[in-house]
Formats: sequence, structure tokens, C-alpha cells
Amino acid sequence: MDVKLGVDVAGMALKNPLIAASGTFGYGVEYESLMDLGLLGGIVSKGLYLEPRLGNPTPRIVETPAGLLNAIGLQGVGVRAFVADVLPRLTKHDTALLVNVCGDTVEEYAEVSRILDGAPGVTGLEINISCPNVKKGGMAFGGDPRMTFEVVDAVRKATRLPVIPKLSPNVGDITIFARACEEAGADALSCVNTLLGLVIDVESRRPRLAFGTGGLSGPAIRPVAVRMTWQAARAVRIPVLGIGGIATANDVLEFLIAGARAVQIGTANFVDPGLYERVLTDLRAYLERHGLTDINQVVGTLEYPGDAERERRG
Amino acid sequence: MARNRDIPLVRREALDGAYVLLTFRHPEIAHEARAGQFVMIKAGISAEPPLRRPFSIMSVAPEREEFTLFLKAIGQGTRRLAAMDVGDLAQCLGPLGQPFVAPPEGSEALMVAGGYGIAPFLMLSRQLQASGGAGRVFYGGRSAGDVQLRSPFEHLGATLVVATEDGSLGVTGRVTAPLEAYLDAAAPKAVLYACGPDAMLHAVASLAERRGLPCQVSLDPWMGCGIGTCLGCVVWIQKPGEARPKYRCACTEGPVFDSRHVVWT
Ligand SMILES: Cc1cc2nc3c(=O)[nH]c(=O)nc-3n(C[C@H](O)[C@H](O)[C@H](O)COP(=O)(O)O)c2cc1C
Repeated sequence: MDVKLGVDVAGMALKNPLIAASGTFGYGVEYESLMDLGLLGGIVSKGLYLEPRLGNPTPRIVETPAGLLNAIGLQGVGVRAFVADVLPRLTKHDTALLVNVCGDTVEEYAEVSRILDGAPGVTGLEINISCPNVKKGGMAFGGDPRMTFEVVDAVRKATRLPVIPKLSPNVGDITIFARACEEAGADALSCVNTLLGLVIDVESRRPRLAFGTGGLSGPAIRPVAVRMTWQAARAVRIPVLGIGGIATANDVLEFLIAGARAVQIGTANFVDPGLYERVLTDLRAYLERHGLTDINQVVGTLEYPGDAERERRG
Repeated sequence: MARNRDIPLVRREALDGAYVLLTFRHPEIAHEARAGQFVMIKAGISAEPPLRRPFSIMSVAPEREEFTLFLKAIGQGTRRLAAMDVGDLAQCLGPLGQPFVAPPEGSEALMVAGGYGIAPFLMLSRQLQASGGAGRVFYGGRSAGDVQLRSPFEHLGATLVVATEDGSLGVTGRVTAPLEAYLDAAAPKAVLYACGPDAMLHAVASLAERRGLPCQVSLDPWMGCGIGTCLGCVVWIQKPGEARPKYRCACTEGPVFDSRHVVWT
């Protein structure tokens, strides 16, 4: 039996629901010689500002139980160099190309988006309002619903491409932010970025990262990310991309069942560049085992217990 | 070209202390690796530890499609590798990074290693032997247990000078002392190669600078991916003609750098 893995997200036809997450797949070209990029549903580029960025001092990464704490600080080549040098190389691969858009100001987000709007080969824009590792922009926008609205609204007016804000998990109620994005005209949501964390070297009593705090990713954050994806997906009508700690088909399915239309894979790219083939095979096997023909049949099928059942005793 | 494979452990030789030699089968690494290149490797497909670890390739046996790592089981990743049984699978990507550049005709190769920093020099020594002498190796550690990889160099005919800080083997003190003594005595036309702790690398680089000798250092920052995507392992490098230093990935533009280009912090 042939099963269908293709999904449609905000008008983007993805051949399967697996997308490489921003900052964990470089600009895509780094993986060219290691795998067939055509295996992926899509790729999200490293975060891009108008100008090149140096990023944060080192050390920038530290391993944690089942996770990774990073404070890279959005080192990057800038959007113009990306369009001129990287994009032409990427477009020859048969996969969707999303660009992770950053800014220090609302105007910068809009300007970067405008430049990408005319660039051939770009499938959609992911708006990074949730990076915990920069002083300006980033999480400052994604932590305030009014600012979230402003950024998304400005980007919406600057492009006809699908606009996909990337939400921060470092908020009390993610549904407020999900709705603010939808009202501002977002086409989909990415859910979520890294969790703000801190690792301390007890000998020196200093943070292990030069920046101090960092963003936690990897399997350690998966239950939090699944919960937030589930909450966001129920709060809005636009599709949600689930992100956080995915390394296996089982993990992918958790997010889809929670309501995500597709997923992004981040830290696991560092651990095993060969995982896409394995995950796709396992997803097919799951569908066949459950007598399903289409991955979309799984989306949002969580059977969450009702209040009576949740509170039943004995 | 680097390839990602799940590869079997074919041989395991425990040395004293936490040191171990692990031999794996991986055709691309065995055929293509050059001294100074490394692999990103992790035991099994478990969730812990989350990341692969970088290791210098110690030697290759192309005819058997094998390569060998020399490691010290000190953390979670290395302990899991050291505990593998023959036949167990590891996830391995390699060969990665830029190798050492051979010395020009008529220049002697002086290799300076601290502890497990000796690993890439066995391969370098073997490459050099094929085109002349196997070089001179200065091998330092805290005590005798940290300088166990000696006999393979002796077999190659390399000159080996051992130094331990506690004096339990060879010269007492830091490895830079016998190196400096040799430079004083012989004033050789030489290229220095260094791999080991940062402080040692810096000391060797300063020595080379004072003597006007070229020096290549192998840096060992924390690495996330090994292929330049995570940007976790960047180091400050300033090449000739550049107005200011740039962050460069140690995994793709290194780990071997010309010591004069490294901005020591
Ligand atoms: C080293 C690193 C760099 C990242 N860079 C970015 C980035 O540039 N833009 C962004 O929106 N998210 C970035 N992220 C967040 C990931 O895209 C993803 O949201 C997060 O890591 C959670 O997914 P994971 O657990 O699968 O890694 C980065 C994550 C890591 C680990």
C-alpha cells in the first residue's frame, strides 16, 4: 500500500512533514554532500538580518541532560549575501526553502522580508521573534503580544510570501501570542523556539556560556513543546509547525497528533544527519500498521481526557 | 568526502588508566583521511549523551577499511565509546576538517603533544616516514600513565622525547622544556606541530613565534555538528591581509590552523 506523506501548509505543498529547523541546518548547502536534500519537506535557513552578524562570544554551546544549551547569537551572513550567494545553490534541490527573518527593529524585519519577497526560490518566511540569545529584537518581540502583532503586521505588509512567526516558549500563555499572530495576518505558526536556560560551572561560579543564559533544545524540551503546540493549534485556525526535541518518527507523530500540520527537526541534525530517511520509513510503517493512507489523517487526533475523566479518583 | 555511517567496532584495546584504542570499519575514513582530520562519533543510537564527540584519527588501515581512535574516557561520551563491545555500532561522520600541512623539503617536523593530543601525530609521523623521516615527537603528560602511546612511534623510527610533570617518566616538567632545549642545541630548520591542552598550544605557538618557526596547532573547542552548521566551535582567526579577526569554525576551517593566525584569548 502506498501512503501519502505530503502536507499542505499555508499554500506551501510539502512532499512530507519534515522540515529542517533554523540554525541547525546552516544554509542547507552544508548538508549537500551528506544527504539528498530532496528527502526533506523543507529547509529553514539560519536567522538572517539585513547585515552580517558576528554572534556571541565563546563558549557558545554546552551539553545538558538530553539537550543542548546554546547562545550562538544569530551569527550570519546577512540577507543580501544569502540571496546572492546561497540561494542560487539551494534552489536546485527539490525542497521548500523557508528563510528565518530577524531584526533589531520592526522596520528591519519588514526590510529583510521585502528583499526576500522578490528573491527567486524562497517558499516562505519564518519570523524569528523568539531568539533568547540577542539583546534587542528576538524574544523581546515574542514576549509581548502587542510587539508580536506589530512585527507580524509589518512583515505581512512587506511580502506576499507565506508569513510564519516563530513563537517563544518562554511565555505564560502561548495562545495569546498565537492569536496575535493570526490577527496580524500570519499564514502559519512555528512552535516553538528554545527554552531560556542557565548552566553554571560550580568551580568558577560562572555561567558555562559566555553570554550567560542560553536556549535549551533537544529531547529535554519535547514534552513542553508538544504541550505548547497542542495549546496553540487549538487556539487558531492557521496551521502550526511543531518543533522541539524531535529525533524519531514517534516524536513526529506526537506533534502531529497534538495538532501540528508538519514539524521541524533541529538539534537532532547535529546528532544524526541520516535521520530523515529512517524517520520517513518509520512514519510509513506507522500509517500502514494503523490502516491509514495519508499522514494528514493523524493530525489533531489527540484523544485528550475530559475533565470528569481527568479528575476521577479510584 | 565525509560520509555518515553506522559503523561496527572491530577491535578494542584497553590501556592503563582511562585510555583505550578503538578500531572501527569505515571505508571513506580509512581511504581518504589525512593526519589532523577528525571524526564526529557517538556510541549507539541512544538519546544520551545528546551530541557526538570529535576525535582526531590516530591511524588508518586502508587495506582493511579500518581506522583507530585513541581516547581517554573522562566524560559521558568517551565513557560510552570506551565501553563498546566488538560488533556494537557507533554513529560516525568523517573524515572532517583540515589536515596538517607537511613540512617543506629540508625542514624537520617537530610534533608536540599533551596527553591524548598525541593521536593525530601517529598518522602524521607515518605520512612523513613515507617521504623521509618520521619526525621528532615531544610527548608530555601529568604522569607516566598519560604518555602511553610510545611504542608505535618507536617502531616507526621517530625520535620520541617524553616529559611528565611529576617526573614518573622521561624529563621532569612541561613538554615545552625539552622542545626548547632541542631548539637551542640544534637550531633546526623546522615546522612545529602542536596538539593538546590550550595552555600548551599557546606556549608552543609563542615559542615558535620567538624563534621565527612556522607552527600548526590543532584546536579542540566544544563542537556540536562537525560540519559548520551549529557555529558553536568558532575561534578568532586573523589571516594575513585581514583588517580584523573573524570567527571561523574550527570544524571546517580547522581544527588545524597556522598558529600565527590564531588570536589567543
Ligand atoms: C545551535 C542552534 C541554533 C539555532 N538558531 C536558530 C535561529 O537562527 N533561528 C531560529 O528561529 N531558531 C534557531 N534555533 C532554534 C531551533 O530552530 C529550534 O526551534 C529549537 O532548537 C528546538 O528544536 P530542537 O529541539 O529540535 O532543536 C537554534 C537552535 C540551536 C540548537
